[in-house]
Amino acid sequence: MSGQHDDHHHPSAWGPHHWDHGAPHNSWAPLIMSVGFGIFLFMLASAFSNDVVDASHIPMVMVGLLVVLFGLIIWWRQDLSFDGTYEPMATGTPFKNIQIRKVGMWVFLMSEMMVFTSLFSTYIRYRTGIENCQTVFERGDWVEQGYTLETGEALICFEPASHLIASSWWHIAPGAINTFALIVSSFTIVQALRYASKPVGEIDEGRRRKLVTRYLASTWLLAVIFLTLKMIEWFIGFYVPEISFLGIHEHDIKSLVAEGYTINADHYHHHNWVDEETGATMLADVTVGASTFYVTTGTHGVHVFGGIVGLTYMTLKAWKGGYTPENAVSIEYFGLYWHFVDLVWVIVFPFFYLY
Amino acid sequence: MGQHKTIMGKDLYWMNFFGLMILTLIEVAAVGLDLSPETTGLSYTEKELTLFILVGIGLPKFIMIAAIFMHLWGDEDSKILTLTALFPAFFIIVMILFIGLTHPEATTGLPEWCRPGFYS
Repeated sequence: MSGQHDDHHHPSAWGPHHWDHGAPHNSWAPLIMSVGFGIFLFMLASAFSNDVVDASHIPMVMVGLLVVLFGLIIWWRQDLSFDGTYEPMATGTPFKNIQIRKVGMWVFLMSEMMVFTSLFSTYIRYRTGIENCQTVFERGDWVEQGYTLETGEALICFEPASHLIASSWWHIAPGAINTFALIVSSFTIVQALRYASKPVGEIDEGRRRKLVTRYLASTWLLAVIFLTLKMIEWFIGFYVPEISFLGIHEHDIKSLVAEGYTINADHYHHHNWVDEETGATMLADVTVGASTFYVTTGTHGVHVFGGIVGLTYMTLKAWKGGYTPENAVSIEYFGLYWHFVDLVWVIVFPFFYLY
Repeated sequence: MGQHKTIMGKDLYWMNFFGLMILTLIEVAAVGLDLSPETTGLSYTEKELTLFILVGIGLPKFIMIAAIFMHLWGDEDSKILTLTALFPAFFIIVMILFIGLTHPEATTGLPEWCRPGFYS
């Protein structure tokens, strides 16, 4: 701690803080945001009970989000005045002399890793425990068992989203572009940190402000592209124009939802599940496969959204010239989170999109 | 953040970035092979080859991001933070064993020595 703690000046619980007087131990922001998240999640779960959307809960969902936003504004007001004069260090074993915020971020990421491990293990468990739909289709006994479009009976099997996604280059495209977007964004955040932490005198301050803002804004843009492509892949689909010299014909690429791949797809049929001899189409209950896909990739998407919220603030702070070598570690700590989001995608992309 | 590092005389972050891009290209191309008409004759019904390639590429990508972009390699506090980061590995192993032991074939399809109750 480079600033001296002054007991006669209590930092405001609502911000902005006078950092020379010590860390804001009395901030209301964490408590308000926790309450907001609680209201939001509880009401969201209530709104979607029993496969029916209960619109009467939506106003309370919005109230929850507004409370979170209110907490964020308080937090940001307090952080905006942070100039790096107060960076507490851990004093206990094993993290002695490491910045407390850095340790805190790693412990947080550790807990996040456990969350995603649970999701992955669920996926592996179901994928290995339930017979693959394509295997069932190729075996062919579903025709005589009557699991066809004509009878309306569906058999339970595991249909990985990759069966649809890895069926053509066009279907893979959004996920593949997203993979590159995240890798580029990992690089841009590192570049933002590099220029923010360059010692005073090595770089013109105006250039520092411009470069840090530019790299943070690029990261923000790539994150937005990621979620936009995710929306296209899940809900919207896209149109492929005629490109005659490449032999590409005009056609539509359907979204996963338009293909019928949803969390309640108890009568799903893939466009290739047609028996050549009888002409019958296989019907499958693929709710388990779809649920594991949407929950895991959706949880990752929520993390990207959280990153966008943080990046919005950081970009504005950088634009105001708020980052200096003294407080550049804030970008490093956010960068740890952002790289973790990239790391998770390194696993999600091959196993949920390609294999 | 540690001091400016280089690899083969080039900036470490740029090299890491290019390496990740190339590995991702190979990853997507590996799946593209499945789409190619030339490979339809392969007998990999469950795409074992693709899985092997994806795991083989995913692992170095994971290490490159964690070691270089997240500064788990080369910084003064790298060792303790790497140990912190590896702590969930224990949890991951437990989860995978847990999955294995609850697999429908766990009591019949696994070798005797790793079935539940072997040591009792």
